Amino acid sequence: MRFLREFGALLRLSLSGARQRPGSVVTIIIGVTCAVGVLVSMLAMGSGARRQVLAGAREDHVVINSHGASGIMSSIPRDEADTVRGLPGIRKGSDGKPLVEFQSVLPIEARRRLTGARIFFPLVGVTGTPTASDPDLHLTEGRVFRPGLHELIASRPCVRQFTGFGIGDTRSIGGVDWTIVGHFEQGDTQQCGVLADAEILMSTINSNTYNQATATLESPAAYAVLRGAIEGAPTLHLEVRHEIEAREEGIKGLNGLLNFAAFFVGSIMAIGAMLGAVNSLYSMVDARRREIATLRAIGFGGAPVGAAVLCESLLLSIPGALLGVILAWVLFHRMSVSPFGFSFLLDVTPRLAVIGVLWALAMGLLGGLLPALRAARVPVTTALRAT
Amino acid sequence: MKYLPLVWSGLWRKPGRTILIFLQVSVAFALFGVLQGLKTGVAHAAAAARADLLIVHSRLSSIAQSLPLGLLGQIRTVPGVKIAIPVELSFGTWQDPSQGTGVVAVTPEDNWQEAFTYTIAPQYLEAFRKSRTAMLVRDLVAQKYGWKIGDRIPLKLIVTQQNGTNDWAFEVVGTFTDSDVGGGRYIVIVSYPYFDEARVLKKGTVNHFNVAISDPKLAAPVCDAIDRRFANSSHETKTESLREMAQANMQAIGDFDFLIRAVVGSVLVALLFATTTMMVQSIHERTPEFAVVKTLGFSDRTVFLLVLAEALLIFVSGAVFGLGLATLALPLAARFVPGLAMPAVVIVAGLLLGMAVALVSATIPAMLAARLRVVTALAGHHAA
Repeated sequence: MRFLREFGALLRLSLSGARQRPGSVVTIIIGVTCAVGVLVSMLAMGSGARRQVLAGAREDHVVINSHGASGIMSSIPRDEADTVRGLPGIRKGSDGKPLVEFQSVLPIEARRRLTGARIFFPLVGVTGTPTASDPDLHLTEGRVFRPGLHELIASRPCVRQFTGFGIGDTRSIGGVDWTIVGHFEQGDTQQCGVLADAEILMSTINSNTYNQATATLESPAAYAVLRGAIEGAPTLHLEVRHEIEAREEGIKGLNGLLNFAAFFVGSIMAIGAMLGAVNSLYSMVDARRREIATLRAIGFGGAPVGAAVLCESLLLSIPGALLGVILAWVLFHRMSVSPFGFSFLLDVTPRLAVIGVLWALAMGLLGGLLPALRAARVPVTTALRAT
Repeated sequence: MKYLPLVWSGLWRKPGRTILIFLQVSVAFALFGVLQGLKTGVAHAAAAARADLLIVHSRLSSIAQSLPLGLLGQIRTVPGVKIAIPVELSFGTWQDPSQGTGVVAVTPEDNWQEAFTYTIAPQYLEAFRKSRTAMLVRDLVAQKYGWKIGDRIPLKLIVTQQNGTNDWAFEVVGTFTDSDVGGGRYIVIVSYPYFDEARVLKKGTVNHFNVAISDPKLAAPVCDAIDRRFANSSHETKTESLREMAQANMQAIGDFDFLIRAVVGSVLVALLFATTTMMVQSIHERTPEFAVVKTLGFSDRTVFLLVLAEALLIFVSGAVFGLGLATLALPLAARFVPGLAMPAVVIVAGLLLGMAVALVSATIPAMLAARLRVVTALAGHHAA
């Protein structure tokens, strides 16, 4: 109880003294602001990428690939595709046909509008009508491609980022000119994607295999049924995963890299900011040596003196943390970036704000330790004698 | 030079503070060094990629589309082509789905390795040629999974075999290293003739052809000549040198310039504030000392320069230390681009930047010290 009373009095005293040392206070705040701001902004890349990839993924959707493969490495021959259409557990549409779609993916290149840099993006051949099978996808201009014709529809980000995606533009794929006939938007994805009819695409590239299939389940419980059927069929070399799981896995590598970079840079900046804070706190303690010694002489304990300094350090880290989070949000939230040719919006989430504040408190705690020790150990007699 | 002892004793008046500032400067420049080193290092690696090594892809899609093996004969007749080797790419896992490796299938003809960036000992090349199920393992893979020469390694490939399974097995006959920064860390080499014969789908196709040419200066004309040969056929090709590809890939890394500038900028802003306030603090505490120095006849200008010199000393030494740390840490941070070394230009830029920040952050404290009025200072009225 006595500890708390002394601690409270000391804290009030030191905080009122902080006003007289604006330089030190500003140093701590700016250091913490920069460290937290950079950490949160960089983490926002990972969370933005993940958010975009998971947007539109549905609980009742499954993805079918060949064993151990995904994306362009996976292949589903036509005969296996026919078998898949007849498997149990897949929901039937209103026309009685199973809700399963096959995709054939061909990475092709585009040129950036500003720099002319080459970027690869997926041209996806689909077996169904895209506007019917994906409720998030809607046309903004033009029309959907007609089956059997060399026609493409491109997402809005393609038009924004790259050259050659205007309606009526043609591009040569497999020696044939393909015409862009429509533009579409899909949620708020920033990734360039171009869709075509799977059959015409596959005949152009002389391919007899799809890359991947997406199916709608009858019910969540039907997953086990479908999985059992796929594993039990001797002619199938396929595996099925929940759509969410498959997409999480697909983004894992990039996300890991982005988060590693964020914490790597964030840690180094935190160390820098902490060194600055230690220096400032030391000089604040030094400036108050006589004050502290006086308090000790009239009966204040060493522990509350140290605790007050530590607490001051923690309190000083909070404004910087909030400022850092706010700056990250104002400057970078929903900003479009495209590292490694993958475009998405930065996403500063409440979770990241909490991480930022905790990060700052850890900096305050570690940075306050040594100065707190020094304050607690101020030798009363010499400090009082000093001028 | 004669002022050096004065500057030195100024620095060590409060050793704790000086060491902390020194560390703070070091940390900032270590970060600068790593980030800028990564960026410049990758650019240098791309510029140094081999220009005499060409890759012949399908024009449809240089990543995913196959070419028929039959193009090989025609590629070999193009003037300037020294060696042409078919390459098929696949992927496999060992024991656990998380333990993956890239699989590169090549035809082990004479001197095939000259059309690649790999370094392979002659006895391993010989052993690889002799056995159809032989496998050469990149040093990093051998280390990661603990494979030894002579081991028979079961791999689950994404390619189905004739017997209906995806279970393959290869004998490790040697290891190799790769000088290409973009080639993938975990790769093994197997024999294409065996691989193609054993698989069910896509028989007789390859992902690309590796072509070594006699003279790097001929890269552009040879690329054109190869592509012209297949123009308007059902398998149009696109041929590029490894250097061209590396440079295009580097551009695709995209917005990292902006990110690095933003991070470095905020680090320097924080550093600037911290050191300026610390130095102002220090000047205040040393008011009587500066007053004495001035009484002894030092001009305002000399005092100004003395403070600047202190800042320069601490910043340059901190920058040197920090950039040294960055040089050591770079290979660690750049684990996705093996073999990256710190470019000298980054060190020079870092030192210049260090001096610039030192001068900027010391200007206000130096002015305070220079403008100090001896009479008031000695009378004990510290300038506010």
